[in-house]
Amino acid sequence: MTTGSVSPPPHHEDQDLIDRIIGDQVGRPGALLGILEKLQDRNRNKYLPMETLEYVAARTGVPQSQVYAVATFFALFNLDPQGTHTVAICRGTACHTRGSRALLERVKLQLGLREASDDADKLTLTTPDRRLTIRTVACFGQCALAPVVEIDHAIRGHVKEQALMREVDALRKESAR
Amino acid sequence: MTDKVKVRIDGEVIAATAGQTILEVARAHDKYIPALCYMEGLSAVGACRLCMVEVSGVARLLPACTTPVQEGLAVATTSPQIQSYRKMVIELLLVERNHVCAVCVSSGHCELQTLAQDHGVTHVRYPYNYPRLSVDTTHPRYVLDHNRCVLCSRCVRTCAEIEGAHVWDIAGRGIHSRLVSELQRPWGEATSCTSCGKCVQACPTGAMAEKGWGVEEMTKQRAGVSRLTSMREGQ
Ligand code: SF4
Ligand code: SF4
Ligand code: FES
Ligand code: FES
Repeated sequence: MTTGSVSPPPHHEDQDLIDRIIGDQVGRPGALLGILEKLQDRNRNKYLPMETLEYVAARTGVPQSQVYAVATFFALFNLDPQGTHTVAICRGTACHTRGSRALLERVKLQLGLREASDDADKLTLTTPDRRLTIRTVACFGQCALAPVVEIDHAIRGHVKEQALMREVDALRKESAR
Repeated sequence: MTDKVKVRIDGEVIAATAGQTILEVARAHDKYIPALCYMEGLSAVGACRLCMVEVSGVARLLPACTTPVQEGLAVATTSPQIQSYRKMVIELLLVERNHVCAVCVSSGHCELQTLAQDHGVTHVRYPYNYPRLSVDTTHPRYVLDHNRCVLCSRCVRTCAEIEGAHVWDIAGRGIHSRLVSELQRPWGEATSCTSCGKCVQACPTGAMAEKGWGVEEMTKQRAGVSRLTSMREGQ
């Protein structure tokens, strides 16, 4: 049952890599998590395509539904392609009371992004040109600096709307080049 | 090696076997403890919290379905606190999805409805969530209506543990958790489904049903599913 219908992953040149990652991890406790994490990390757009999940299930013998459950339980995993730059806006309590909703709404407006549904438990929006991904975070643990925004892994505190807009515009222009 | 232990349930001394859960012992002696996610023949997951009981010497309530008995354990299956707690759990289950019993195939045979009646839930005190949920009608013989799903995972365990197909699992988390077949594929396209229908029989509500039944018409054969496990154990 595990080797029955193993369809190749989307990019054939990646197959060796995927096989190697799976081979390295299989049998270890928590193997699935490790496999998914590595695969997402190696993915050009930092996400797990459906074909990859299907392939992982077939190769590891873990039922597809279980692979999907793991990939959707952890906020770390993305099922959609991510942008070149990431702007993570904190929506924790401290940041909320300091106006993070307005920041989020402003950025969404600026980039013309809208939520597809209110179904998802985390917000991740990517511009159609895949330059920018906007996401929300529950708390960065930097509440004293509220409102907090993380731009490409750099934390900014006491963020003002104007300043954030300038940064976002800069990122758009920069990656347009 | 069956270690016999003596436990007390609502004051009555009962001989049990170590390793049995409080719920198993209680059921074997006709003591009522409500349960929803528990189903005989499946592993216990302690997901619904309806079976919470008081154990003397323990400050918090414990789930009867996953707590093993020990020598000298004293359990109270009901108390004003437990009752109000269970009532709350039922109300929260009701507000989480869109339960409209008047148009449900399982009305009159639904475990959630019965529990609500037994616990005097005549109305709910919390605002309804009214989530927008889909109905999967793609399987030729069965339907899945997410509006009525209580996420008990009985279908998941039945399919994985008894049928061995593991078509189902619970995706996402918290309020956004949803039952999924395979990689979020429509049920009718799930190639691992053998169409045995055991998940439908195990489902306590009208979330899973056979096609072709009208309101109040779908009754389920849960005992048959549980019996499969005991018959296999006997082999
Ligand atoms: S019909 Fe059978 S195989 Fe399909 S999901 Fe239900 S129990 Fe599993
Ligand atoms: S479909 Fe039925 S059995 Fe499955 S999780 Fe929902 S309520 Fe439980
Ligand atoms: S709430 Fe934003 S950093 Fe804690
Ligand atoms: S029956 Fe024990 S938690 Fe559901």
